[in-house]
Amino acid sequence: MDFTKILLFNMIALGSPLALAAMGGFASERSGIMNIALEGNMLVGAIATALIGHLTKSPWLGLLGGVSAAVVLSLLHWLLTQYYRMDHIVSGMAINLLAFGVANFLDQKYTDPTAGEIPTLKINAYYTVAIVLPFLIAAYMRYTKGGLRLFAVGNDPSKSRQMGLSPVKVRFLALTITGVFCGLSGALIVSTARYYTDNMTAGDGFIALAALILGSWRPIPALIACLVFGMFKGLEIQLQGVPVFGVHIPREFWFSLPYLITVVALAGFLGKSRVPAGLGKT
Amino acid sequence: MSVKNWVLAGAGAMKLRHLLLIVAGIVSLYALLLLTNVNPGDAGHRLVKGTLGLDMVNGHLSFVSANAISGTLRETCPLLIAGIAVFIALQAGLFNIGVEGQLIVGALTCAAIALRIPGIPGIVLGTIGAVIMGAVWALPAGLIRAYRGGHEVITTIMLNSVAIYVTNGIVSGPLKDVKQESPTTPTLADSSRLPFLYNTSNAQISSGILIGLLLLVAFAFWLRRFVSGYELRAVGSNPVAAKLAGVKTAKTIVMSMVVSGGIAGLAGAVQVLGYTFRYYQDFSQGYGFNALGVALLAGSNPLGIIPAAFFFGLLTKGSSALQVLGIPKDSGFVVLGLLIIVFATIRYRKLISVTES
Repeated sequence: MDFTKILLFNMIALGSPLALAAMGGFASERSGIMNIALEGNMLVGAIATALIGHLTKSPWLGLLGGVSAAVVLSLLHWLLTQYYRMDHIVSGMAINLLAFGVANFLDQKYTDPTAGEIPTLKINAYYTVAIVLPFLIAAYMRYTKGGLRLFAVGNDPSKSRQMGLSPVKVRFLALTITGVFCGLSGALIVSTARYYTDNMTAGDGFIALAALILGSWRPIPALIACLVFGMFKGLEIQLQGVPVFGVHIPREFWFSLPYLITVVALAGFLGKSRVPAGLGKT
Repeated sequence: MSVKNWVLAGAGAMKLRHLLLIVAGIVSLYALLLLTNVNPGDAGHRLVKGTLGLDMVNGHLSFVSANAISGTLRETCPLLIAGIAVFIALQAGLFNIGVEGQLIVGALTCAAIALRIPGIPGIVLGTIGAVIMGAVWALPAGLIRAYRGGHEVITTIMLNSVAIYVTNGIVSGPLKDVKQESPTTPTLADSSRLPFLYNTSNAQISSGILIGLLLLVAFAFWLRRFVSGYELRAVGSNPVAAKLAGVKTAKTIVMSMVVSGGIAGLAGAVQVLGYTFRYYQDFSQGYGFNALGVALLAGSNPLGIIPAAFFFGLLTKGSSALQVLGIPKDSGFVVLGLLIIVFATIRYRKLISVTES
């Protein structure tokens, strides 16, 4: 395969898990819940997919396990922020720490490196879902009642309450969706590698969040941002040791590029960012 | 206030749902312990011996290991200083999740300077450099929050990742010790290390912890007795009222973020000069995140940082002491996560309205 083909393949292969997680983040943040726990949800999704896949030898049950675990963790965020009125950031931090500890614990205690590859579904199916999903979500937000409700609750919870909506209920559904997508993303990551390794998501959840912000909390721009970030990751692999315009670019540069771009975007240099107006409000 | 009133006030603040949460936390910890097939009594015994150095000898409690307690203090020191950094930002209503990144950038700067300049000038310049770099690393988050309204948490998370990659790149490139396999700087000369308060063959206590305590006292004094400290707290508790009262809120936000970053950088410098004597890849074991736990646990009183940091030091040292029993080291993060959840639900519900502004 030539350079462009590999680049395009990497873009989709590395961008897809980001896109799935970013859509998870979309559901949560559009409903008004700030979510830095995407990373934790993905990690738990990945370890649960690997463990249950191993135990049952069934890729479907593995996927189901991964998604359910991520949903449980995501709903913990709902419980803490909505019922216990905890600060969204603190709750997200705590959930990330929990997920990191639990995943490490399960990995050290229960995964067996000699057990071989985990059973997986067709990777291409994941890619298709990841690429099509943002379009479906965009259509859902634009053309359905449910989409409008999500939008309303996220923009002004107190007014939508007066209109007879229940923000807490809408957010429950939204965070369930977040868990499903993050679980899928974790399952995709572990299925691509076919083995679980410690702290496997390695900050992808935060990159997904960055992509969501870069896309101004809109699904299709967020997808594009994810694919661009995936492409940078792919470039890093392809350009290792190859000089660009006569200069050896350290790999750390490519790694940190998505984060740097996001900081620049946050500073308002890349157009005005449209934060959901009710983000973090009760 | 009598003890009875105090208990009643405590019970009033504690609702049934909080109690449920605490019970759930304890149950999940216990379940985790059961999963490890470790005898809880044995684990407790090892925990006390491995962190405080206390053990039962001939039926009475006695001090057996100076190594254990010095290890706990070693873990406490970075958490104490980084805890102050998080606490300052928190007082202004900001979450400085970026302490992690600011700390490692400071540590690397300090190591780079102290390796070039030997002796006391190296220590002083290295520390100043670390403080400056930590502050610089926090500056964008403060500016973006104050003037663009971008949430500081997002900015600092991004800057953390950048910090990790940049420092890894430098320590495996220009600053790498050529004699070593792994990416690490050379070790500092004896003359550019902080003096020990206590030094025997099996236990050392660095003066780093003293720096942390002095800083904390100075900080507590500043917060209570200086106009700028008062303004900081005013912005944190009610930004609108503070603005109406004539406080320059934007400036205060940037200032608190920069000071917080500078202290995080100092934490990195003390860690290099007092404990590790070099910078290496993956330098921080999540100090920044633990420090957030410390600051939350400390409550509203800065002096609360001391017991909170010591407690987290115990937790860190304890989880490595329990590794012998087959409990993975990073399981300590589960305890940390549960603790933050329980404490934040009970004490920090008001922060929502603060960060909303």
